[in-house]
Amino acid sequence: MTENDTKTMEIDKSKTFWVFFVLVVIGVAAFVFGLTSGHPERAWQAYLINFLLWSAIAQGAVLFSAVMHMTNARWSGPLSGLSESFVAFFPISYILFLVLFLGRTHIFPWLHEDLHGKEVWLNIPFLFTRDCIGLLILYIFGFGYLFNALQLKFDPNQPRGKLRQSIFEAWKRNHRKPEDIKRRMTVWGGLYILAFALVLSLIGFDLVMSMDPHWISTLFGAYHFVKAFFIGLGALIILAAIIRIRRGEASGIKANHFHDIGKLFFGFCLLWADFFYVQLMVIYYGNIPEETHYVIVRTMLAPWNKLAWIVFLVCFVGPFFILLNKSIKTKPILMVVICTVVIVGIWFEHLLLLGPALNHGAQTIPLSISDGLISLGFLGLMVIAIGYFLHEFPEITLREKEA
Amino acid sequence: MPRERHIMGLFKDENQVVSAINALKQSSYKFIRVNTPFPSHKIMDALKLRKSLVGWFTLCGGILGFIAGFALATFTATRWNLIVSGKPIVAIIPFVVVGFEVTILGSVFGNVLGLLTQTRMPSFRWLRYYDPRCSGEHFGVLAACEIEKEDGLKDFFQEQGAEVRVFESIKENSQL
Repeated sequence: MTENDTKTMEIDKSKTFWVFFVLVVIGVAAFVFGLTSGHPERAWQAYLINFLLWSAIAQGAVLFSAVMHMTNARWSGPLSGLSESFVAFFPISYILFLVLFLGRTHIFPWLHEDLHGKEVWLNIPFLFTRDCIGLLILYIFGFGYLFNALQLKFDPNQPRGKLRQSIFEAWKRNHRKPEDIKRRMTVWGGLYILAFALVLSLIGFDLVMSMDPHWISTLFGAYHFVKAFFIGLGALIILAAIIRIRRGEASGIKANHFHDIGKLFFGFCLLWADFFYVQLMVIYYGNIPEETHYVIVRTMLAPWNKLAWIVFLVCFVGPFFILLNKSIKTKPILMVVICTVVIVGIWFEHLLLLGPALNHGAQTIPLSISDGLISLGFLGLMVIAIGYFLHEFPEITLREKEA
Repeated sequence: MPRERHIMGLFKDENQVVSAINALKQSSYKFIRVNTPFPSHKIMDALKLRKSLVGWFTLCGGILGFIAGFALATFTATRWNLIVSGKPIVAIIPFVVVGFEVTILGSVFGNVLGLLTQTRMPSFRWLRYYDPRCSGEHFGVLAACEIEKEDGLKDFFQEQGAEVRVFESIKENSQL
């Protein structure tokens, strides 16, 4: 690579940064505008949906690497390292959660309701304390796993920024053998997997299910974290495909990798639909009014029923039949399209779960331009976080050094 | 039909097999098959086999299975209308479960049927012109030519680095 090439790449990179920075600014502006307009609850609704969606993407994508390490999988190759880059979104996600506290009066419809004894669990101080602690634990485990995983791939010859330097110093002080690092990765990864299931269940119960405080489904937490892994894999495929398209063969991501992770994505598409169906089935048979009203409002009554069908077609039926085909799974561009559609579909699924509780008696689906703009802001945050990480640690996409 | 002579080149190296296959396909000799002691991706790629149709059998089996399962549930439900808590006789939500189960059964049946028909089982063709060393440490590339060209094919295999075995007649394989 000549000096000129490096320069154009740098300019290219900073250009992309500014594009996404502008997106973030637009998102923040749309959100602030929404707050000051007549309907701040609409802005908070969009904020909550995006917080849930993008945090779940980051958490689910990191889970991929932990699962690959725990199962001793070799097929993932560079994908495993790539998925660790999503850890960069964790601090942002945590701050976004703290900001959610400011909108508590708009996002929790149960605040002024009689909860018939559920006040013990559903009250603002307890809810925010446990979720704050839960997310903190999850993110610490994520960082602990990354700190060790990175060490195996670290290339000391790369130019060093401040962050790199300090991490490198920390490793030097500890001076561990590769086997030792792998053992530590197993511990941190195992804890992360466990925390993932527990904390995402908690978030699902507290921030999604509680919107309808009289409705309960014990499976809802599991549904929430399976969905998170599903869209996490989708986002990881998009990232891998973009890197593959931009760098070509040099990225080390081959058609086989796309085929394999495509199969996993397909599998979790099925599992997500299965968890939905398992809940639906029990509610259908039980036929108890407290339970059925939740499903009836969302799948049988206007305006939400149309949205429910769209989500079902876009997130399950479409991907199911398209991903049966092997050669589609190996084409990066097609996979980007499919995964993007699925993630947008899951955005609408969040709207479907939260919307009816937050917009009582809505005649039309509450959607406006500002929802889209706020979502773009979150997209910008995610891309900047991952871009920063990949810029700082370019060797993460390479294979693990053999111990 | 001119009489043919079957000759097997026995290789110890996977890469030699790949180059022999490629060269054989360019030549006028008739390439028949490869016997390998273990599955090899390199050799599979070199053979350039057309895509298997088994997947289509599985898909059709699955779709037929779903229809059959749903139809079974519907048929049995309509024999005696048992109305439970106002639910419809032909209820879609629970019947999808039966449909799903039979989808899997149908896919499995379709898959096995596809496997049997596509590999043309039961087949004993492989018993002809087989060298037991191909279950040991050798790869066997089998080719055929007219009897007059026998020496040419022998030389060809030797050039590729193989040990050559000429099958005089089927009887020679009696050791199996």
